[in-house]
Amino acid sequence: MTEEHGGAPPDEYVEAEIHRLLAEDPAVAEQGITVVHRERGLVLYGEVESPHRREEILRRVAERFPDLPITSDIGVIRAQAPTQAEELP
Amino acid sequence: MIRIAAVGDVHLDEDVVGRFRPALEELPGCADVLLLAGDLTRHGTESEARCVAQEFGNLGVPVIAVLGNHDHQCDQVPQVVKVLEDVGITVLEGTGTVVECAGGRLGVAGVKGFGGGFAGRCASDFGEPEMKSFVRTTNESAEALAEALRGLECDLLVALTHYSPVPDTLAGEPLEIYPFLGCYQLGQAIDAAPTALALHGHAHHGTERGTTPGGVRVRNVAHPVIKQAYSIFHLGDHLVG
Repeated sequence: MTEEHGGAPPDEYVEAEIHRLLAEDPAVAEQGITVVHRERGLVLYGEVESPHRREEILRRVAERFPDLPITSDIGVIRAQAPTQAEELP
Repeated sequence: MIRIAAVGDVHLDEDVVGRFRPALEELPGCADVLLLAGDLTRHGTESEARCVAQEFGNLGVPVIAVLGNHDHQCDQVPQVVKVLEDVGITVLEGTGTVVECAGGRLGVAGVKGFGGGFAGRCASDFGEPEMKSFVRTTNESAEALAEALRGLECDLLVALTHYSPVPDTLAGEPLEIYPFLGCYQLGQAIDAAPTALALHGHAHHGTERGTTPGGVRVRNVAHPVIKQAYSIFHLGDHLVG
C-alpha cells in the first residue's frame, strides 16, 4: 500500500479506462487499440480504417486525460487488391 | 477449382466508403464469390449498413455475409439485414446457401458465433444465470452452425463465422481475452461436417492460419490481419471446371 492518497490514479487504472473509452465511446468504437507504457507516457498502437478515426481516438483520449503525455502510432489499414491467391489443395 | 474471396471487420461508416471499391471492382476476374466475416459496420446502424451496401453491393459476384458483434451494437439487426439484402447480399445466421460456380457447387454455412473459450480453458454452463446464459448462447450458436453445415448439398463446403472456431488464429492476441474471441464449440461443429475451409474475423491482432482439431483449415480474414481489401483462396482442385 502506498502512502499517497488522491492525486493521479495508478497507471493501470488509466490504461483500463482508456481501453474502455476506446471501445465504448460511440465516436470511437475501436477494440483493437493497445495502450502501452513508455518512459515518456502512454503510446497507442493499432490500426484503424481511416485517418479520421485515428485523429478522433487521439482527440477523445487527450480530452479525457489532458495532463497525460500520450503519443500515437496508429496506422490506417491498406485496402489494395491482393497480388496472390492462396492455393488450398 | 472454386475461387473464394473473403474479408471481415471492415467496420464501414461514411468515412470509409470508397476505400475498398477499386479492389472490389476486380473481383469478377479473380473470384467466384465474396464472403464477409462480420463486423461490417461500426455500430450496427441502418445508415452504416447503407454504406456497406454501397461499397459491397452490385459487385458482379455473389456476396455472402455473417454479422459481427459490432453489427449488433445498436439493436438494429433486422434493419441492417434488410439494407444488405436489398442490394443482393445474402446474410447468414444459422443458415446456409449454395452458389453455382464454374468449378462446382459451393456451399456456405454461416453464423456469427460467440465467445466462450477453448478446450480446458472455457466457460461452463453453471452458476449464475448470466454465466449460464452466456454459455448457452455459445452452444446454441454452434448447434445452429452444425445444422446449417449438415443441411447443404454441394461439392465444396465452407463455414463462415465472425468469432473464431480455434485458438490458432488468435496468436498475437492477449491470452486473457481468448474466451471473448471464440469458442471450441464452433470448431466441433465444423469438424462434424465435411468442411473444406473455415473463415472468421474478430481477432484484429491474430494471425491468418490455423486448423481445427479435426484438420479443417481455418483462416482469420479480419482486415487488420490480412492488410489488403480481401484474401483469395483457391480450393477444389478435384472438381471439374
